[in-house]
Amino acid sequence: MTDAAMARDRFRRMAAMRAFDEACLDALRRKAIHGELHVGLGQEAIGAGMAEALRPEDAVVSTHRNHFHALAKGVDRRALLAEICEREAGLCRGRGGHMHPFDPATNFSATGIVGASIPVALGYAHAFRLRGEAAVAVGVTGDGGSHTGGFHEALVMAGAARLPLVVLVENNALAISVQFEDVSPTETVAERAAAYSALGLHVDGTDVDAVAHTVAQAMDHARGGRGPVIVEAICHRFRGHFEGDPEGYRSKEERQRVRDNFDPLRLYRHRLAAAGVSDDEADAILVAEKAAMKELLADVLDMPMPDPAGAMLYRFVEEARA
Amino acid sequence: MSAVAERVNDRLAMPLPATIAEAIALEMERDETILCLGEDIGRAGGVFGATKGLQERFGKGRVVDTPIAEMGFTGMGVGLAQAGMRPLVEIMFVDFIGVCLEQVYNAAAKIPYMSGGRQRMPMVIKTAGGCIGSAAQHSQCLWGLFAHLPGMKVVAPCNPHDHKGLMAAALRSDDPVVFIEHKALLLRKGRDFRHHPDVPDGAYTVPIGEAAVVRRGSDVTLATLSATVEHALAAAEDLAGEGLSVEVIDLRSVVPLDADTVAESAGRTGRLLVVDEDYLSFGLSAELSLRVIDLLGLSGLRQVARLAVPDVPIPAALSLEKAVVPGAEMIADKLRQMTKGA
Ligand SMILES: Cc1ncc(C[n+]2csc(CCOP(=O)(O)OP(=O)(O)O)c2C)c(N)n1
Repeated sequence: MTDAAMARDRFRRMAAMRAFDEACLDALRRKAIHGELHVGLGQEAIGAGMAEALRPEDAVVSTHRNHFHALAKGVDRRALLAEICEREAGLCRGRGGHMHPFDPATNFSATGIVGASIPVALGYAHAFRLRGEAAVAVGVTGDGGSHTGGFHEALVMAGAARLPLVVLVENNALAISVQFEDVSPTETVAERAAAYSALGLHVDGTDVDAVAHTVAQAMDHARGGRGPVIVEAICHRFRGHFEGDPEGYRSKEERQRVRDNFDPLRLYRHRLAAAGVSDDEADAILVAEKAAMKELLADVLDMPMPDPAGAMLYRFVEEARA
Repeated sequence: MSAVAERVNDRLAMPLPATIAEAIALEMERDETILCLGEDIGRAGGVFGATKGLQERFGKGRVVDTPIAEMGFTGMGVGLAQAGMRPLVEIMFVDFIGVCLEQVYNAAAKIPYMSGGRQRMPMVIKTAGGCIGSAAQHSQCLWGLFAHLPGMKVVAPCNPHDHKGLMAAALRSDDPVVFIEHKALLLRKGRDFRHHPDVPDGAYTVPIGEAAVVRRGSDVTLATLSATVEHALAAAEDLAGEGLSVEVIDLRSVVPLDADTVAESAGRTGRLLVVDEDYLSFGLSAELSLRVIDLLGLSGLRQVARLAVPDVPIPAALSLEKAVVPGAEMIADKLRQMTKGA
């Protein structure tokens, strides 16, 4: 691929992710989502960067802030948006909702319980090893999740067995209001890798090229049987922890400063230019992705809600309809 | 405006979490051994504001912002209690108890017994339950779970007065108390409550284990707790217009469970409906029904019925959630059905 084609692809991927979460915000405003919503705006470069290194047979287990990881793994965005909007045609028939998308077809899942993603990814990793498959399991967590018992226990086991597990830590320095530096015993999460015989990598999570490079390196390492990897991507959360978060823990100015200085799409403009992609072309990509999501949201909002008569279905095998 | 009227107005404008923070502050003032541990409780004052101002007032040593490490800080609570302190441990949402249940049910709840009464466990586990639309992992009540595991008192108040008084009682208790707030109530101000007894300014306790009759009635007894009390009152008001008189009882705690008060009422009305936002099977509704039958005898009641989440995880879609979580309409329908032709 030419530099220009690659840069364009990466930018388009970030633009698509941004447009996706903006559509979610729109859906929330239109009351199509009645629960908590966590968007990833500001963290697009991580989702877009990891997408290239993921193969269909790999697995991703994500968090409450999972939309970009799902898109990166190839989850159908119509089904995902429909699920987030609680529709019967959604990925999980409106039962799971935004925090709980499950897509066995792409080996993608998520959890609303912080830290609970990593042990599940460990399970995929063990299955891959046992079956002799060259697949890698990626467990995503925020910095907050890196302090949990599940994170530690899973890495202990992965390290001891040299399992193909990549733990991707999106370090946006905040766990709701709690600052990473106030509660972490180490300056970084990646440096804890040594304790688990894992490889620790650190990357600027606002730089899609750097993320693509580093995640590819991590996946190669794990796929090659050299054991688990912790990839720590430093990033910034543009919005509140959830939509409606009063954000008493950071000032408006601080939030603005973050948006002004760490917008991965804006930061990428100079790379696009260097690769020969004009500003106009980049603008056109943003407009096109936005328009596509607008149309998709309109379609989704026309879809029916689940029939209350089916509220009890899907607990057990015998209740599942084809 | 008189001073009293002004104060009442304040209380009506006050968010429920502010009343809870007030209760904790009053107890922390009285007793230096009380300290609070949890996520976002210090600098942010709690995700609902129920610990607002406490860190500024009592310092970072007594109001600790923890990492997301529930197993660690719940066990820390056990150790603090054994070391002579009185910890309040906040588990943000009760659903997250899964990651630290070990320290709750194998340690905190059993140590008083295992030690032959020699080791007390004055620990409060403060947590938010209930459904406000966040699907299967963020909507549970789970008081039935704690009640099933011996050794914990379990309270779930429904109005500002009881939140304040029961929080004080929990913090003064020498036994572990699980204090379950309801998210929907935490988003309310005083004036949003149908049932809103006056809240005194100073410290007071509400005894743990005493139910309250919150509406008098003669045709049917409805027993419930937490946010469902509000739904029950709404249903009872509606049905009053249809000539049906419903007595509503707020249980206030699941352990101890005040079956006497319920039996006294149900013995009069002849009918009992237990409504529970927790799961139906093996839970509060069956337990209370049977205890009332034990007290009144099999012939002491004309009807017993229950309404609860029908053993299904809480779905994301609003259309499904409404079908499984008992609200005012569902309660009114059930009451109509029970008393039809009676
Ligand atoms: C076990 C558990 N504890 C607490 C929570 C509540 N909670 C949800 S997200 C969150 C913060 C997560 O921070 P981080 O892992 O850094 O991810 P971010 O939100 O920054 O993406 C908390 C405390 C939870 N969902 N699960």
